[in-house]
Amino acid sequence: MRKPKSAYPYWFVLPGAVIFTVLFLAPTVASFWFAFTRWDLYSAQFIGLDNFVQFFKEPFLVQGLWNTLIYAFLTSGTKSIFGLLLAVLLTSGIWAQGFLRTVVFFPVLVSTIGIGITFAALMHPTKGLINVGLDQIGIAGPGWLTSASLALYSIAFVDLWKGVGLATLIYIAGLSAISPDYYEAARIDGATRLQQFWRVTVPLVRPATVTVLTLSLIGGLRSFDLIWAMTKGGPGFSSDVLASVVYKQYQSGFYGLSTAGNVILFVLIAIIIVPMTYLFSRREVHQ
Amino acid sequence: MSSVTLTQIKKSFGSVDVMNNIDLSIEKGEFCVFVGPSGCGKSTLLRLIAGLELVTSGKIVIGDRDVTHAEPSARGIAMVFQSYALYPHLTVRENIGFGLSLAKRPKAEIKAKVEAAAEALQLGHLLDRKPKALSGGQRQRVAIGRAIVRNPAVFLFDEPLSNLDAALRTQMRMELTDLHRKLGATMIYVTHDQVEAMTMADKIVVLNGGRIEQVGTPMELYNKPASPFVAGFIGSPKMNLIEGSAAEALGCKVYGIRPEHLCLSTTEGQWEANVRHIERLGAETILHLDTVVIGPLIARVAGEEVPPVGTKIFASAIEGREFRF
Repeated sequence: MRKPKSAYPYWFVLPGAVIFTVLFLAPTVASFWFAFTRWDLYSAQFIGLDNFVQFFKEPFLVQGLWNTLIYAFLTSGTKSIFGLLLAVLLTSGIWAQGFLRTVVFFPVLVSTIGIGITFAALMHPTKGLINVGLDQIGIAGPGWLTSASLALYSIAFVDLWKGVGLATLIYIAGLSAISPDYYEAARIDGATRLQQFWRVTVPLVRPATVTVLTLSLIGGLRSFDLIWAMTKGGPGFSSDVLASVVYKQYQSGFYGLSTAGNVILFVLIAIIIVPMTYLFSRREVHQ
Repeated sequence: MSSVTLTQIKKSFGSVDVMNNIDLSIEKGEFCVFVGPSGCGKSTLLRLIAGLELVTSGKIVIGDRDVTHAEPSARGIAMVFQSYALYPHLTVRENIGFGLSLAKRPKAEIKAKVEAAAEALQLGHLLDRKPKALSGGQRQRVAIGRAIVRNPAVFLFDEPLSNLDAALRTQMRMELTDLHRKLGATMIYVTHDQVEAMTMADKIVVLNGGRIEQVGTPMELYNKPASPFVAGFIGSPKMNLIEGSAAEALGCKVYGIRPEHLCLSTTEGQWEANVRHIERLGAETILHLDTVVIGPLIARVAGEEVPPVGTKIFASAIEGREFRF
């Protein structure tokens, strides 16, 4: 006869469950609820899907959504590509390899707001070092942060500069895990350096690629501080992303609408990350 | 198939010389085994032949071509690694055909060659599997298949059986010997296991401390070891080697007698001994003896009828089977 289940083990789960419920589960459920209300912080009136309908009716809010996707895919893609290339370079036994690794990783340690302010100054259309330098060689630099068509990409570039160090570090760990035997076998089979890169390195470093893409996509989708420090979403709404739109709605007192924006961001991250993780983990390479 | 000739090969890593003045000739179609303890330089020598390491000085000739400075892929060799080096993201078919696809050979040719190699190695039914779905022995065969499709002049094996269990190792030893017979190819095989060397080789090269101790057929090394090192390395259990005043009394610096060349008697013999320990292996028994005159001895005797531990017996060397160095 089986003994009845004891409640004793569940006492050990209780502290963690309480913390998780109070700090994570309850706010998430509450934000889902407030997204369906007109909310002024003191009272909430249920209005169904009105906040979501309004969100998708407002052209600047939809632009924020598109900008979020462009920004997230652009920064994660470039971090992945440049991170891998830098990691290959920094594991190739070049001169001062250790020092150069530190140099690449350094921007990761610097405050995002500090970087935003510094680059905003560097990218100033007339007084910024970049355009002053371009001017010296006879090129009229564009308004990196003042042009509506360039601002988002300029911020994405700074995000790449700041974040590529972490991607490089993850790739260095991934490359170190690849047995040199694979490269030696490929050399004996006549693989050129380029073939070794495409046919050995890229497939075998896939676990690192999954980590870099997942982390940087999530980071990109919820990016706020760098954008706020550099353009505050401007000029106009040209560099606004979901997180900055949500912040602006909060500032304006549209708490229900901004919470709906948060829910959209949550769903967007889930829609992109969950299938991607599932797909990559199925194909993940086991050495 | 081609011969391999090494002339005055020297290899240094910084100021450390790891190979010194290696001269060696491996004939066409020969199965040559490099054997020696860890760190003796056997894998380094194989890697020098493969071109994965460059010689500090000396000359490597494969066939009639000086390949000393040639790229690994231009040496006409194929190598099977200890880890097998099978690409985990590729199927067995893609792994075997990897070299051919790098060389951009026509798809039909790759398919035909891969299937022929797979057939020869009984891998036909596994072609669409990934390496992780294979057993150790099957992975080993895929690695050999990858070498075969390149149709190399020389096959190089770097301790390919060391990751297999004892039973599979015995089976793969036979399969490799069969493969050598079938292909008639020149094969160079590295191992630290003297049993592998004795059972597979046409020629054994015993290495020690970066230099060649002796080259010969398995039975030459067993019957005429050139040094106490070779005498102790070849044969299992290893040869009894007696040094010091006991050896001097026997007229040499080092006196050697193999465990299987000792006769035991309960009444009389060369050395009085005490049975300290018994290892029963079934068909034979290994006796560990303590003698007063020449110290500990190991004797190998047939059958199970052996004197119990603590018994006083006498051990004698079979005439003509002693070694004096």
